[in-house]
Amino acid sequence: MPQMNMVQAINDALRVGMRRDDRVVLLGEDIGRVGGVFRVTQGLFDEFGEDRVIDTPLSENGIVGCAIGMALYGLVPVPEIQFSDFIWPAYDQIVNELAKYRYRSGGEYSAKMVIRTPVGGGVRGGHYHSQHPEAPFVHVPGLKVVCPSNPYDAKGLLLASLRDPDPIVFFEPKRVYRAAKGLVPEDEFTVPIGVASIAREGTDVTVIAYGAMLYEALDAAAKVAEKGIESEVIDLRTLWPVDIETILTSVRKTGRLVIVHEAPRTCGLGAELVSLVTEKAFYSLEAPPVRVTGFDTPFPYSLEAEYLPLSHRIVPAILQSARA
Amino acid sequence: MSRFEFKLPDIGEGVSEGEIVGWLVHVGDAVSENQDMVEVMTDKATVTIGAPKSGKVVELRGGEGDTVPVGTVLVVLDVGGGDSAATNAKPAANTGERPATKKAEPAERADAKQTAKGAAPAKAKTEKDDAEDDVDESDDASDAGDTDDESEEASSGSKSVHASAVGDIREDLPGIPRSPKAPADDYRNDKPLASPATRKLARERGVDLRRVRPSGDAGRVTREDVERMAVSGAEQPAPAQKSASRAPAAGAHNGNGTSTTVAQAKPPAAVPTAQGETRVPIRGLRKRIYENMARAKHTAAHFTYVDECDVTELKRIREAAKSTAEQSGVHLTYLPLIVKAVVGALKRHPALNCLVDDAAMEMVLRTSYDIGIAVATEGGLTVPVLRNADRLTVIETAREIDRLGTEARTGKTRREDLGGSSFTITSLGKDGGLFATPIVNYPEVAILGIHQMKRKPVIRGDQIVPGEVMLLSLSFDHRIIDGHVGAAFAQEVIHFLEAPERLLLEMR
Amino acid sequence: MDGTDKSREPMPRASTEIIRTLREDGSLAPEYDPHLSNDEVLRLYRHMVETRYLDERLTALQRQGRIGFHVGSLGEEGAIIGAAFATRKQDWLFPCYREFGAALLRGLDFQRFIDNMFGNANDTVKGRQMPDHYTSKAAHWLSISSPVGTQITQAVGFAWAGKLKKDDLATLVYFGDGATSSSDFHSGMNFAGVFKIPTVFFCRNNGWAISVPAERQTASETFAVKGVAYGVPFVRVDGNDVFAVVHAVRKAIERGARGDGPTLIEALTYRMGGHSTSDDPNVYRASDATKAWADRDPIERVRQYMRKVQGWTDDRDKEIIQEVDRRFRAAVEIAEKTPKPALETLVEDVYASPTWNLIEQREALLAGPRPNEHG
Repeated sequence: MPQMNMVQAINDALRVGMRRDDRVVLLGEDIGRVGGVFRVTQGLFDEFGEDRVIDTPLSENGIVGCAIGMALYGLVPVPEIQFSDFIWPAYDQIVNELAKYRYRSGGEYSAKMVIRTPVGGGVRGGHYHSQHPEAPFVHVPGLKVVCPSNPYDAKGLLLASLRDPDPIVFFEPKRVYRAAKGLVPEDEFTVPIGVASIAREGTDVTVIAYGAMLYEALDAAAKVAEKGIESEVIDLRTLWPVDIETILTSVRKTGRLVIVHEAPRTCGLGAELVSLVTEKAFYSLEAPPVRVTGFDTPFPYSLEAEYLPLSHRIVPAILQSARA
Repeated sequence: MSRFEFKLPDIGEGVSEGEIVGWLVHVGDAVSENQDMVEVMTDKATVTIGAPKSGKVVELRGGEGDTVPVGTVLVVLDVGGGDSAATNAKPAANTGERPATKKAEPAERADAKQTAKGAAPAKAKTEKDDAEDDVDESDDASDAGDTDDESEEASSGSKSVHASAVGDIREDLPGIPRSPKAPADDYRNDKPLASPATRKLARERGVDLRRVRPSGDAGRVTREDVERMAVSGAEQPAPAQKSASRAPAAGAHNGNGTSTTVAQAKPPAAVPTAQGETRVPIRGLRKRIYENMARAKHTAAHFTYVDECDVTELKRIREAAKSTAEQSGVHLTYLPLIVKAVVGALKRHPALNCLVDDAAMEMVLRTSYDIGIAVATEGGLTVPVLRNADRLTVIETAREIDRLGTEARTGKTRREDLGGSSFTITSLGKDGGLFATPIVNYPEVAILGIHQMKRKPVIRGDQIVPGEVMLLSLSFDHRIIDGHVGAAFAQEVIHFLEAPERLLLEMR
Repeated sequence: MDGTDKSREPMPRASTEIIRTLREDGSLAPEYDPHLSNDEVLRLYRHMVETRYLDERLTALQRQGRIGFHVGSLGEEGAIIGAAFATRKQDWLFPCYREFGAALLRGLDFQRFIDNMFGNANDTVKGRQMPDHYTSKAAHWLSISSPVGTQITQAVGFAWAGKLKKDDLATLVYFGDGATSSSDFHSGMNFAGVFKIPTVFFCRNNGWAISVPAERQTASETFAVKGVAYGVPFVRVDGNDVFAVVHAVRKAIERGARGDGPTLIEALTYRMGGHSTSDDPNVYRASDATKAWADRDPIERVRQYMRKVQGWTDDRDKEIIQEVDRRFRAAVEIAEKTPKPALETLVEDVYASPTWNLIEQREALLAGPRPNEHG
């Protein structure tokens, strides 16, 4: 089993998926000859040609709108939005068209695709190369939202996404694109959508994280373990439909919940998770749930380490929860 | 004259009614403050209620054997003084008698009035109130205006409010518990702070959070506080209960501010019947035992493990220590040593120091060692709890067990000594027989029964020598405790008892 | 300006030029004659007449409160039905929302259409959308959404996929003059031009986007000329001349089939009614504004042709009306008796199978209180 980083694992997943299913078509900006600005599609143009790895004009709504048409025809388009910060021109197509197509046509049509897009900060990217906009997508009925944290999950979830019947927004945490490494099977395998994983078992505090922040949560968990607090770190992997059972099982065990995400706090995914836990496990709660998130500001450039919910902010949050 | 109506207070947490066991005063008697007036039995305990103030008994309402709801006037006293009337159950919030339509008062007001009520002075009433002497008190309650309440507080000498020229200077803040120095019985906070999980626990354990003295940060009630307050087997509310929707906690809380202790109910009066049989109502403590035993037996999957142990050495040590203990005024029995052995074994087998939460499908593993000590009393079996047994010396353990036993047998068990144990020891003493099948003190998962100790031949090395042999029987909830786990625990206890020098290593 | 593809065939030479076949005297100019058979003309005519009648009846139903909404095509029947008529069976249509006549021509089941107007249990979209938002896969008719222009990029993507798979198909996308201002028009035209996608961009220039006149949508000389910017050949056609429309669309589809990519067609027509039943055009439009267009009514012009060529009589018009009226009444009777969609359909089709939250919400819905019916 080879060792891969996230970029290689996603590349491998696309290759495996495209070899298996000739309906799979990639389209996006700079994904062809240059292999994408992060090189995620490197080599695919050479193997599959310009009809399946399509460099498009710079128009996100054109990319997604055309991808919907392709999906309606029966292809499995995999549009790449170069940075999730650039996805908004396509938001109308995603929200009003893609997500609703099956519903509004009474099930007669569906537009299945996997929109890949890098997310997150910590790359000196400022406002427009750093955002982590999962909440506005989780909020949209009809979409599934995935955010892997490691190469194995990235490949398995992407291959599962290609097989899934519903439109999926696939967030790739670019901060750990190359830093996250691990053994990844060469052949096709899937990681189920809608199932979280326990990244670290513990009994005292439940910590929910995903994407690049998982590593910060794990680092914080290791630090508080020195103080005798055992955190259970859940890697959500799928942001929606969220694996509520895994979350509730853990919170029922620990009675304490800390949620970590890069996106701004207000109406972020953490808000929904807190609501769900309070609705479904209120009487297991020993302490108020705590959110460790980005600030309610645009993403800053110079102060990005302050903005991000890194380990230094997660540690006191866990301690606060454990001692409450 | 000035009438004072004494109403049956909520003497447990959430008790809704009580049975008048016996009057200790008669109409016309002069009573002094705190003088016992009446014995009332709730489904938990029998409580002797003292007079909240001195006066003359004008009226006794209700006969012996009557069951009366909380809030019913029991005694009318003439407390002398000016023309006024008062009651112990002033319209304060949270007595359960307030009409539901009355909107809730701010917490601090309810708090202050509660304290005033605790002190239960004869309140200087307004003329308007005077005219309403005969009006039902609950109407009075809803009509009472703020000004009226203030005057009540001011005149009450309440601990929490000081009259001053510029107004009432409170010593406590709303929502913040008052000084922990106040007697436990007085504690009440109508807006207790507690986590949802603790609130759930309190409900399950039948504990009224408002009466739990908090030990947590910022005045929060902790799980431990609830456990301490809880009484084993007080979970289920009686179906007939109305205002108190939750089960009463053990023990009487004295809403009057007078001192009471919890007494186990005396056996109810037997009633001969025409058929030549005698029907004895299952009431009070017996009813609780009846319910708890049935629930334990029906819920837990019991298995019992019996063995003997050679306590020759333990006996030697006990004999040696006995006189030393005597000098400290303590009669040293085997039980404190057995408690120590049990705690030592629990530390090595933490699965046994456990409660089962059937509703949540969870095992509640305890980190404190609160050992229930089953005591036979006239009214029936009662189980006061030896708190933090791991932190007590043998002498302290002995003294505490002695206190618990004595108070239980004399019907003086304190409320705080009931509930919250995680393992129980039942010592059958000389009458212990060969073995028994103890029933676990549900929701605990294990119980140790101690049987007779006899001088018997034992084999040491290759020799048969005389030894002291004690018989033990342990029952476990097999749903939680596997056979080998229970057996290993039993062997651990035996090991400690047979080699008591190991207990030294457990000492703190 | 020259949007023609001269190497292949004659097309108009200037964006301002309007191709027209049907002369005022009812004869056809040979240059753009689609050479329709009598039966074909009758079919076109019949659908146009039926469409207009249905518009009138559906509007009446809305006024009676029996349906919630209708968006009609009064005066635009020639453009709408002519364009659909010119498509081939294998082609796919991406509608705006004003083209029910075209859907019926393409084979939308009549009862299902009326069911959609009532949003009942037999509605193909299960009562989830407003009236006039039906679908029909059998008719190669895509789903309708109300936002303007979004179907344009989708039509391009669909035809693109067909091209990648080397299928002989084109897409025809309907949109109004207002939609040319949308980013999807821009993106769709741009992508189609770059990748030579066989999409027919059929712009119904009916003069109005609700209350905003066409001259407020663009400073371009025409809508057709916008094709120049994208390298997309264009043609401006008299939208009230169904023969010219059929001709122009057929040529555009042929162009796509040859691999020469998209065509932008601006069909000049006029919205004789309001935007929808919710709109009153008298608020923003002079009452005599429609007069000039009434003289160029697309149905009357075909009728004139048929009188001339086929000896058409008014009695036969009555037969058409009687026949469609009978079908309409029958369909309405059935649709009105058909219950609303089942409650559980509320959470179906959001995903291929409902997620846990939808299952929870479905249970709550089924168990929960019902609203007061508001008719």
